[in-house]
Amino acid sequence: MAAETSQETREILAIRRADGESRTLAASLPRLVLEARRIAANVIHGLHGRRRAGAGESFWQYRRFVSGEPSQNVDWRRSARDDHLYVREQEWEAAHTVWLWPDRSLSMAFASKGARDSKLERGLIVTFALAELLVSGGERVGIPGLMNPTASRNVIDKMAQAMLHDDAARASLPPSFVPSALAEIVVLSDLWSPMSEIRLMLAGLSASGAHGSLIQIVDPAEETFPYSGRVEFVEPEGFGVVTAGRAESWASDYVARVALHRDEIRSETNKLDWLFSTHTTSRSAAELLLFLHSGMMAAKGSARGSTVKAGRSA
Amino acid sequence: MIAGLPLTFAQPLLLLGLLSLPVLWWLLRVMPPRPRRIEFPPTRLLFDIRPKEETPSRTPWWLTLLRLAAAALVILAAAGPIWNPQTGVGGSNAPLVILLDDGWSAAASWDTRVKAADELIANAENDRRGVALVPLSETARDITLMPAGTARVALRQISPKPYSVDRVDTLGALDRFLKATGEAEIAWLSDGVDTGRGADFTDNLAKTIGDRKLTVFEGGAAPAQALVAAENAAAKMTVKVLRTTGGVAAGVVRAIDAKGSPIGEARYAFGMQDRESEAAFDLPVELRNDISRLEISGERSAGAVQLLDKRWRRRAVGVVTGATSDTAQPLLASTFYLTRALSPFADIRLGDRGAAQQVIAQFLDQRLPMIVLADVGTLSPEIRERLNAWIDQGGVLVRFAGPRLAQADDDLVPVKLRRGGRTLGGSLTWEKPQHLASFAADGPFAGLAVPKDITVNRQVLAEPDAVLATKTWASLEDGTPLVTGEHRGKGIVSLFHVGADSRWSDLPMSGSFVEMLRRMVDMSGYTAKPGAGVASETTNVETVTPLRTLDGFGAFGPPPSTAKPMPADYRDRATSDHPPGFYGPADGPIAVNTLAAADRIASLDTSALRAQRASYTNAEPRDLRGILLSSSLALFLIDAIVVAMLGAGLAALWRRRTAAAAVLLALILSATSIAPSPTRAQSNDEFAIKSVSQTRLAYVVTGNADVDSIVKAGMAGLTLFLAQRTALEAGDPVGVDPARDELAFFPLIYWPIVPGAPKPPQDAMNRIEAYMKQGGTVLFDTRDAIEAPPGENGAAQTPGMRTLREILSSLDVPELEPVPREHVLTKTFYLLRDFPGRFNSGQTWVETLPREEDDDAASRPARGGDGVSPIIITSNDLAGAWAHRPDGQPMLPLTPGEPRQREFAFRSGVNIVMYTLTGNYKADQVHAPALIERLGQ
Repeated sequence: MAAETSQETREILAIRRADGESRTLAASLPRLVLEARRIAANVIHGLHGRRRAGAGESFWQYRRFVSGEPSQNVDWRRSARDDHLYVREQEWEAAHTVWLWPDRSLSMAFASKGARDSKLERGLIVTFALAELLVSGGERVGIPGLMNPTASRNVIDKMAQAMLHDDAARASLPPSFVPSALAEIVVLSDLWSPMSEIRLMLAGLSASGAHGSLIQIVDPAEETFPYSGRVEFVEPEGFGVVTAGRAESWASDYVARVALHRDEIRSETNKLDWLFSTHTTSRSAAELLLFLHSGMMAAKGSARGSTVKAGRSA
Repeated sequence: MIAGLPLTFAQPLLLLGLLSLPVLWWLLRVMPPRPRRIEFPPTRLLFDIRPKEETPSRTPWWLTLLRLAAAALVILAAAGPIWNPQTGVGGSNAPLVILLDDGWSAAASWDTRVKAADELIANAENDRRGVALVPLSETARDITLMPAGTARVALRQISPKPYSVDRVDTLGALDRFLKATGEAEIAWLSDGVDTGRGADFTDNLAKTIGDRKLTVFEGGAAPAQALVAAENAAAKMTVKVLRTTGGVAAGVVRAIDAKGSPIGEARYAFGMQDRESEAAFDLPVELRNDISRLEISGERSAGAVQLLDKRWRRRAVGVVTGATSDTAQPLLASTFYLTRALSPFADIRLGDRGAAQQVIAQFLDQRLPMIVLADVGTLSPEIRERLNAWIDQGGVLVRFAGPRLAQADDDLVPVKLRRGGRTLGGSLTWEKPQHLASFAADGPFAGLAVPKDITVNRQVLAEPDAVLATKTWASLEDGTPLVTGEHRGKGIVSLFHVGADSRWSDLPMSGSFVEMLRRMVDMSGYTAKPGAGVASETTNVETVTPLRTLDGFGAFGPPPSTAKPMPADYRDRATSDHPPGFYGPADGPIAVNTLAAADRIASLDTSALRAQRASYTNAEPRDLRGILLSSSLALFLIDAIVVAMLGAGLAALWRRRTAAAAVLLALILSATSIAPSPTRAQSNDEFAIKSVSQTRLAYVVTGNADVDSIVKAGMAGLTLFLAQRTALEAGDPVGVDPARDELAFFPLIYWPIVPGAPKPPQDAMNRIEAYMKQGGTVLFDTRDAIEAPPGENGAAQTPGMRTLREILSSLDVPELEPVPREHVLTKTFYLLRDFPGRFNSGQTWVETLPREEDDDAASRPARGGDGVSPIIITSNDLAGAWAHRPDGQPMLPLTPGEPRQREFAFRSGVNIVMYTLTGNYKADQVHAPALIERLGQ
């Protein structure tokens, strides 16, 4: 019980910190506007100017009336100026749903001695900042199982409130749900779950055709395995215990095993044309945010195939 | 007891537990340490790596060793180890006879001996045995058996005796006791010193005790040392230090005067096998004569004390000769023979420079106890009177005849003399040269061997009268006296009827002469104070009573009741009847020492005895369990700490170690940096770099804050003025301390004089002088021209001038003069007539220019001498006029305050700085027009 409460306290602290930090972080980046190439015209309206005529509120251009159009389209005020009939076209605006999944399981609370933030903090910071950016860019942001998509301006507060009042068990991976085909999914987790679970999750999320990114947030210690001597390793979520007699001799095997794990994830994401990257908490959060920002802005078709990494992660 | 070690175990069987250590070793090797618990999210990945090594982690060997050591300590502690167990005699019920050495040689280690005896008695008490305590000094007493408690009391009452104990004398009593008692066990607490009959004793002891059990205690205590044969030689006082073989190798002998205050110390050291060494006190004879006691420092025994009485004092003897031309043939002079004869036992003051009368007066002033007048003729009445008074108070006057004495007539001779000498064996006489016939039996020469080879050619003759025979101390074959003497008051007047040289007789060349003089000197007072000499004593005292005696430990005390009066000429070693100490009158006691001069000590050889050996143990038995258990506990604690650290990982341990090393290194570095030299050197370097990177003006920091701030501002003002008006852009002025800072970097040092300031230390003055000699210029400013009293010499009377004179008194200052009109100092930059500062009435002084001989040179408009004047003295307070506040306003008003005075003060400063920088360059410039003219046209 005590462990749980301490875990809760830790989470609350992390949320509070992330709340503040994410705002400064978000302020440092331009509004994140997703490219909307694949978005159908009939998605819910948003503030998303698409640089082309379409359904929207802001003026785009006047064009000549083409016969066959409904006459109600004619902008009589403009047309009265000269002899032609004009149609007032609005800029096409479309909102886009982005599902963010910050992993808040016990394992994310891990922070080795040299690390600046715990993985949980880092995940939350990036989640909040991303949400803020997306919302200011007109997108709708939600957390599967916790918060419905919203385009509210105070999305960070809403997310934080939702998390603070969340009394469900903290799962590592997002619950199985069916996002719309055009939704974007961002999973921020340490992804230490067994490959089968990850595969299952990916299959579920991508079944409807949604795309997304898997970001593995790891602690530096999880990369380099700086342990020696006789060490008993405990899985924080209660999946077991391993005792290493001379931990230093395990390091190379561990590093190889981690690389294998990532390769497996990467091959899955490549199949689904998802984005996969790793992020070490020893590096700055802005780096990851910038990566996500640019990754979502980029022409995904070309980026998907290659392996993209958030900076020079170790 | 473990061989070689004073260690036993109460329960030795428990030591078998040590056999379990190998098992423990194995167990400890196998048991892994408790792992560290680390929460590690990717643990599930580790499951795949799992079967890497199944063998348990090995404990580091040193940790195992640590634990084993701790376990071994526990086992050892359980076995009950005891350090220095009680040795002793036990196991039977026969009475115990304790033979206790209690001569002086036992005193130094008396405590250990008593402790050993105490232990023996305690053991005997436990076994309910009777004890017979036999101090080997008490030969007369019969030996009785007593209960242990009584023996312990008796033991406390025994103290070491201050004389050598002959152990053999006790054997009779021991024999009687053993025959009466039958079975007995004997313990001999030996002091290991053989003072004479040691072999006798061991032989006889073996015979006496037969096959009874004997334990000999020896070793373990420092063997005794002794002092003998102190001798006050010509140059130093020496004393022989004795030891037994293998004793202390070196030490210190202290000399103490009669009042107990220390006079000196002398070291001594023994060679490897030496049993005899020597300590020498190299002290002035007056101090040496004050020594009344020599003792080995730290050795508490009567044998280590040597008491000195008047026989060890060296007398100072004044020798006066009446001859004047003696020095022409020094080997024939009477003083030569006297000096050679007296020097082995007396200090000689020669009076061969100056008139005899003066020298005698001088000797009388010095209160010498004995004066020898060799052929001194007439003496003035005053000197005669003083000599007589001196003799009355105990002085010893020895006169030698000669041509002058033969002509003179005075009362300072013991007998009435006939006018003129008598020549024997000459061409006009028919008498043969005479030989020495005899020494008077009651005279001071009594007992000397009469040499047969002495011939006397010439002598002065005494008027025969009734008392002549009693005054004759030595006579020739024809009955005429050779030496006469008489007591006058407390002193003695004596006359050798021959000269002290070889012209009248060959007595001065004989060995008897030395002996006779020695006797004379012995009669003289032993201090320079007349009145305390042997000559003054009533010589008919047969016996002297003990005054103060030494106890066995060498401390003075009242004489014991057993001490008896002794003959005044007793010179032997001390005995129980005559314990060592001072005897006789308090003002001239006679010393009796524990050992005679020829005595030597040796190690006592007990190897012939069939006996058990034991050694004195200095320490109490100690139970070691506490130490072992606590150190084992400490080891376990260390083990716990190590395990905790290992739990934190070897890497962490290593990091901690490097951290500790870093801390240690930092500590060492900081410790070394506290040491003054590097920082001092560093600051010196900084100072040097700062000073040479730019030309800087310097001023001496006086320590007076007001003066220093004004001077600092003044030098800054001058520096600024220089930069504005001249090509010299100097750096910020530097305050220097001549005692510490290197001065060579500065062309000019401004030295404000604070009236009454203490003179800098000589070291600093030496540096100033070196600076001036090497071309630097010091500008002294007394800053008090306005305080000068009116008058001719007023300027030299101000307090600042007095202080300056005080400072300069230890400097090699050249001749000074007021700056002459044509001095180059007036022309180096500006043309100046005088050098005003805050005042304009003061005179400025520089080194005197060399006088120009020819008129032409003297009339030159500028003269500069060869170099720069090393010293400039002013009283106008230049710096005060230069000083400006930060806002540019002058700090101090000027007197009298003409508007241009400050300008001229600055100009003075510029000229002085330029003078120090350019030297006599401007003096040469006066030729420039002529040179240019010669070059151009």
